[in-house]
Amino acid sequence: MNFKTWIKTITFYDILVGMKATMSHLLHYRSITLQYPHEKRTLPDNYRGMLALLRYDDGTEKCVGCDLCEAACPSRVIRVVSAEVPGEPTKRYSKEYYMDMTRCLFCGMCVDACPVDALGMTREFEWAVYDKRQLHLNKEQLLAIGDRSFPVREKQLELQHPNVAFFNVAFKNLPQKPV
Amino acid sequence: MTELSLRLAVTFAQIMAEMGIVVITIATMTYFERKVLGWMQDRMGPMEVGPYGILQPVADGIKLFFKEDITPAGANKAMFALAPILTVVTALIGFAVIPFGPNITMDVFGITVKPFVVSDINIGILYILAFASIGTYGIILGGWSSNSKYSLLGGLRAAAQVISYELNVGLAIVGVILLAGSLSIVEITEAQTGGFWHWFIWGARPDGFFPIHTQIFAFVVFVISAMAETNRIPFDLPEAESELVAGFMTEYSGMRFAFFVSAEYANMTLVSCVAASLFLGGWNAPYPGTIFGYVGLEQLAWVEHIAWFAAKVYFFLFVFVWIRATLPRLRYDQLMRFGWKVMLPIALANVIVTAIAVYFFPRG
Ligand code: SF4
Ligand code: SF4
Repeated sequence: MNFKTWIKTITFYDILVGMKATMSHLLHYRSITLQYPHEKRTLPDNYRGMLALLRYDDGTEKCVGCDLCEAACPSRVIRVVSAEVPGEPTKRYSKEYYMDMTRCLFCGMCVDACPVDALGMTREFEWAVYDKRQLHLNKEQLLAIGDRSFPVREKQLELQHPNVAFFNVAFKNLPQKPV
Repeated sequence: MTELSLRLAVTFAQIMAEMGIVVITIATMTYFERKVLGWMQDRMGPMEVGPYGILQPVADGIKLFFKEDITPAGANKAMFALAPILTVVTALIGFAVIPFGPNITMDVFGITVKPFVVSDINIGILYILAFASIGTYGIILGGWSSNSKYSLLGGLRAAAQVISYELNVGLAIVGVILLAGSLSIVEITEAQTGGFWHWFIWGARPDGFFPIHTQIFAFVVFVISAMAETNRIPFDLPEAESELVAGFMTEYSGMRFAFFVSAEYANMTLVSCVAASLFLGGWNAPYPGTIFGYVGLEQLAWVEHIAWFAAKVYFFLFVFVWIRATLPRLRYDQLMRFGWKVMLPIALANVIVTAIAVYFFPRG
């Protein structure tokens, strides 16, 4: 131990440097936290929040019950029970659609997988509940979330032939997220 | 008979006033600590209750008062109940000998009272040391009687730590006692009148400026050891959250927990008062006399004295919080090595050097 380190040790030099750092933070106090319930962060544009099922502008559900979202989901959140549209044997829809949001990790793979863009991610995140069963959502609840988060709906496509199931929604018709 | 009861009444009023001040200080400290700690860490601290969270101590008090009082199964009931009381009483009782204003006397209905010290006993500093040691029993009992391994470990650590560091506190004080020639805190403070160079941290003799009797090493040892004795970060091993949940107070809830916490803050305030009185001249202003005295308001000088005392005490309390915001917790062997191999030799050497200096250059 040379003389300089010895002097530093007996004068608690390192501790004083640390205390200077904390003091400078006190003097130049600028809070980096927010008073959360009263003030909220601005979310980034690509924020991935609560999932929702969407509708066309005439109110029909977009979902064609193809089950691709269920296959894409890494944590098995989604369960689709697919069925024929009554009276239209070539068309299918999801008779039942469940999401167990306790497991969802908000990766967005289901949204990517959906061929008709029937799923959307909203900007909602305040979904804390007292009973976790309330996070097991059915189709009506998911459609309701979609209705309140995406007020601008996409046009229903005019189809070439009534026997062709409607896939492939053009990109320009993607629903706009409210800002 | 009437004189005795009058004396009792006056003393009781004094005790109540002092207790009120101490309790207000504790409540302020709980708020102040969280706030300053938050600011130092770029947070806001309590903000919800009242403007800028200023009513947070009140809310905490109400909450703790109405919390369920749980006694763990297998706990020693009597000891479990006794421990927090012992801790808080010994922490508060030390304030009786702290003079927080000048040593003047007042006549109340024919009785002579010293308004700024409850009891000016001639062994004040020994009294404080004695009760600080009894306070350790509260911690050890609380740890042992809870029937929980974390509490027991916390209690054992507290025992070892407080014993090792109390030695250093005692030895650091010896130098001051040698200089003042008295164990009464009032007399020790009075021996430091007349400018900051007479404070025992510098230790100039009453007739000069040269700091021949400096106690600065004792001061450093005292402050560090006092921090360890009050179980403050970086010496908070008895309640190390990351290892022992909350140490000796793991099993306590409600008002008993509040007792432990207020005892910690009361101890902090007490050692700040002692450090201010012993080393920084207590109620004395850092210049000779008082400003009120110079402008001819001699009867108001006590306001200035009390203000200086409060400023010194709050400075120490701020340093406690500041250190807490800066330093991480020591490891146990580091704590013991620091106490016995660093602090103790310095304190001992300081006693010897001061004794020699006082012998060859006696004061006054
Ligand atoms: S966001 Fe990811 S985890 Fe959640 S439902 Fe979609 S695919 Fe599953
Ligand atoms: S991928 Fe889209 S269309 Fe297919 S079941 Fe899922 S939500 Fe419905």
